[in-house]
Amino acid sequence: MVTIIVVPILIALYMSVLGLDQYTLRQWLNAPFIGVGNYVEALTQSSLLKSFWISISFAVISTAATIPLGVGAAIATQNRFRGRAVVRSVFLIPYVLPSFVVATVWRTMFQPGGIIVNGLHSAGITSGLWLNGPKSYWTLIIVEIWASWPLIYLLVLSGLQSVDHEVHEAAALDGALWWSKLRYVIFPYLKGPLSLACIIAVLNHINNFTLPFVLFGVPAPRDVQTLPFLIYITSFQSFRFGLSTAMGFMSLILVAIPLFIYLRAVKLDTD
Amino acid sequence: MTASALPRASSATSRKAETRQDEVLRLLPNGLLVVVIGALCALVIVPLSYVIFASLNSDVGVARGEFFPSSFSWDSYVKIWTTVGLGRGIGNSLVVAGSTAVVSAAVATATAYVLVRFTFIGRVTILRSLLVQQSIPGTLMVLPVFVVFFSASTYLGITVIGTLWGLSITYLTFALPFSTWVMVTYLRGLPRVLEEAAQIDGATNLSILARIVLPLSWPGIVVSAIFAFLLGWNDVLFASVMTNSDTRTAAIALQIFGATQEGGALPLYGQMMAAALVCATPVVLLYLIFQRNLVGGLTAGAVK
Amino acid sequence: MCSKKKANFGALIAGVAMFALALTACGGSNASTSSPNGAGKTINVYFGADTTYGQQQQQWFNDVSAAFEKQTGAKVNFETYASANDELTKIQTSVVSNQGPDIYSLGTTFTPTAYSTGAFVKLTADAWNRIGGKNKFIPSTLGISGPDANNQIGIPFESRPFVMAYNTDLLAKAGIDKPATTWDRLGAQAKMLTGNGVYGMAVGYKDNFDPWKYIWAMDRQSGHALVNGKTAKLDDPATLKAYQTYFGWLTKDHVVDPASVGWTNPQALAAFASGKAAFFPMTTATSMNTLDKSAVKGKYKYALMPTVPPGATSAPSGGTPVASIISGDNIVVAQYSKNQDLDFAFIKLLTDDAQQKIRYNTFGQLPVNQATAKELETSNPALAPFVASAAASYATPFTGAWGNIQLALVNVVVQAIPSLANGSVSDTTLQSLLADAQKTAQDALSRSK
Repeated sequence: MVTIIVVPILIALYMSVLGLDQYTLRQWLNAPFIGVGNYVEALTQSSLLKSFWISISFAVISTAATIPLGVGAAIATQNRFRGRAVVRSVFLIPYVLPSFVVATVWRTMFQPGGIIVNGLHSAGITSGLWLNGPKSYWTLIIVEIWASWPLIYLLVLSGLQSVDHEVHEAAALDGALWWSKLRYVIFPYLKGPLSLACIIAVLNHINNFTLPFVLFGVPAPRDVQTLPFLIYITSFQSFRFGLSTAMGFMSLILVAIPLFIYLRAVKLDTD
Repeated sequence: MTASALPRASSATSRKAETRQDEVLRLLPNGLLVVVIGALCALVIVPLSYVIFASLNSDVGVARGEFFPSSFSWDSYVKIWTTVGLGRGIGNSLVVAGSTAVVSAAVATATAYVLVRFTFIGRVTILRSLLVQQSIPGTLMVLPVFVVFFSASTYLGITVIGTLWGLSITYLTFALPFSTWVMVTYLRGLPRVLEEAAQIDGATNLSILARIVLPLSWPGIVVSAIFAFLLGWNDVLFASVMTNSDTRTAAIALQIFGATQEGGALPLYGQMMAAALVCATPVVLLYLIFQRNLVGGLTAGAVK
Repeated sequence: MCSKKKANFGALIAGVAMFALALTACGGSNASTSSPNGAGKTINVYFGADTTYGQQQQQWFNDVSAAFEKQTGAKVNFETYASANDELTKIQTSVVSNQGPDIYSLGTTFTPTAYSTGAFVKLTADAWNRIGGKNKFIPSTLGISGPDANNQIGIPFESRPFVMAYNTDLLAKAGIDKPATTWDRLGAQAKMLTGNGVYGMAVGYKDNFDPWKYIWAMDRQSGHALVNGKTAKLDDPATLKAYQTYFGWLTKDHVVDPASVGWTNPQALAAFASGKAAFFPMTTATSMNTLDKSAVKGKYKYALMPTVPPGATSAPSGGTPVASIISGDNIVVAQYSKNQDLDFAFIKLLTDDAQQKIRYNTFGQLPVNQATAKELETSNPALAPFVASAAASYATPFTGAWGNIQLALVNVVVQAIPSLANGSVSDTTLQSLLADAQKTAQDALSRSK
């Protein structure tokens, strides 16, 4: 873990204070030292802050929307029924398909003349562009929700298993209605797994690069230029490696702050 | 022994008792259950059927935006084995993702157990730093990780780049924080009573872990292993720089195949969709095998 | 060195290169280097994966490796990459670590980027000799090998010039005997061809690679330069006019399918392949593979794209009649490579007549070898448009900043797409997008070394 996390982080930290680009990459250790120059440029002259808001709002909305889906799926498959194993496997499929396949599929469906646009059109709705302009943001969210809700489902499912059987028994004896049983008996058990699921989901959404990349391509519409997308373009299209590592660190810091506030609020890391 | 402690999986249990068991565990009324499952299945299956149809359709048909193919053909499923190089890719992926899953689940369980059951200075810091790791963007790490790995070959004479274990170690590092957290939350939900009882009986920590904690925490372990497995199975970022043509994973083989070249001809949609489905199959099968372990835990293992 | 060749090469750099087949006389195998002994050695070669001919490519890898082993005793190990992005990542990691493949095959437009890293071997006269002499190549293909004749890193390998496909049936029905050679007339022809569910042109506005090529070509044709030394000039009226024309097909002329705002090049190809479009500009010989299996099989031909800029009826003075960028693949050798003798011997093998022919016959890639090209042209008249386009291909500006400029040019289209879909891109919108692009381009140029 030291060699794969700590050492690379230190190397990246060093790179972020260098004027490292395609011209200096070959002898990167000798690249000019420019201190916080990259950080200043990232904050003042790039669309980092805009990308930050896009990423955060995208992540929060996607997470919020996947919670009911995941919880619903976990609760619904709690009871045994014929074909439950199959249903559970079906639920997992979106999560199992590689990201870029998911993105390719949805891109073909959302494109003008594709089945979604045509379908809506025959229903009398003119939906316009999904992959460009302001609506592209919602396209990204829709596809992300589809691809990621099984994460919540799996975590909640494992959480449900830790509900003591006697609790079920007691609730049954009380004759509690299904809704109040869920609300007052089961949900408190899910608080831990669900809080964790939320954090992980938000972080995964924020760091999801493949999905917007394949869905929209480079250059991306402005409305979907998320943080990893911006970092990728800076690094691999503009070849500003120093600047992109600086952006990477700032995104890390920007993400870490809300993370700690959240951790404190849900008391997940203390008992 | 109360009714609640009846082992649910036991074959000796009468059907009647089983039905009652299910009634007790029931969380949703029947009608709603059907609606929820129906809606969620539709949510998954409608786009999925598009993929299936596309895999049987002609490439021009897919590009034109057809849902139902105008002509059906199984060709794509035959061709992918030679064109995509899927066989070797799936083999490599199974090795890499499988080893990542097993090792990370094992290490995560042990680490989580220590973090949950013992109080020591820095415990919370460790937990938090694990989450910070989870928020490191992958794009930030590719180049530095590569630098470390090639230094290993330059200065230590160990070849890491291009090997399956090198890739596995990388994934392990990124999977561990998450797996550990899953186990921490899971273990925290387990009652200490059993462990305390064992402790009084003079069991060592290790045997408590092996005899009591492990059997109880299967659902958590399986979930954390699934996530670690999927991380290795789906990654293209690290695999693209750390594999060669012999150690290429299925995701990379698929991506190489799927990428359209500049000024290229029509993408081979049919073969790509077919390959994607074939790639997903082993994971779904594995899940089918392990999913019974997702249920169990307390109800199956408790010996009160 | 043959003096005639030298003079001609100077002329090429001046930007007036011609498809000088006559030069073959002065070419030939004057380089008589014996094959180096490579027994027990291996060279690593990095190639783009061929998505259309995967199996054939694997077979070719085996064949060419065997041939090279027979010749020198050295083994060749092929690695493939999926996309330009993967390749850039690989170059980046190799450059940092000073290890990796010995030989890279690069898209021509990436050559300036590769050059700017300084990590690839600048070809000396001796190196060119080992490859078989500079004059075995079609002169125009050398146009993007380096910033000038003395600083070249790219060895031409394959040529993929851009052309325009047209539907002969549709044109005949409309009484048009051949595609226009000016953009204005092409637009007019497209109008005549539009109707009954058929559109005059198929254009992929959402494509990530092609839009800038239209803009660059029209700009060059009008005599303007997007890059002049270290100055970017993307906010010029000529550039604006190019964008207006490109968007105008959709917003004013209505000669393209409104759905094409969301199309990439393959979808435009699919539209043309189903007979729904008369012209399909900006395509290469690789589209034959799709078209020959489609509804338009036997009903289509290729022609040059117009070389007269929008608003003009004949080539303006100072303008360059560009038909295509210099398109295809170059080969570069990494400086860290320990077996450069073998590398060059292998490149010689790849660019000699035999392999160039195999590459054409198996993969449809056009040769860069003059002798091969001439022979194929005589035996296969259908290749004429490609040969003509290759001869009228010009290099994009050779600067490390080009990647950014190209991206900025495409970005204008991407950000304009919402307005495009609404039916018009106002001049103010376009001008502000161009101003952004100009800034990006200028920033990149100012940073370049």
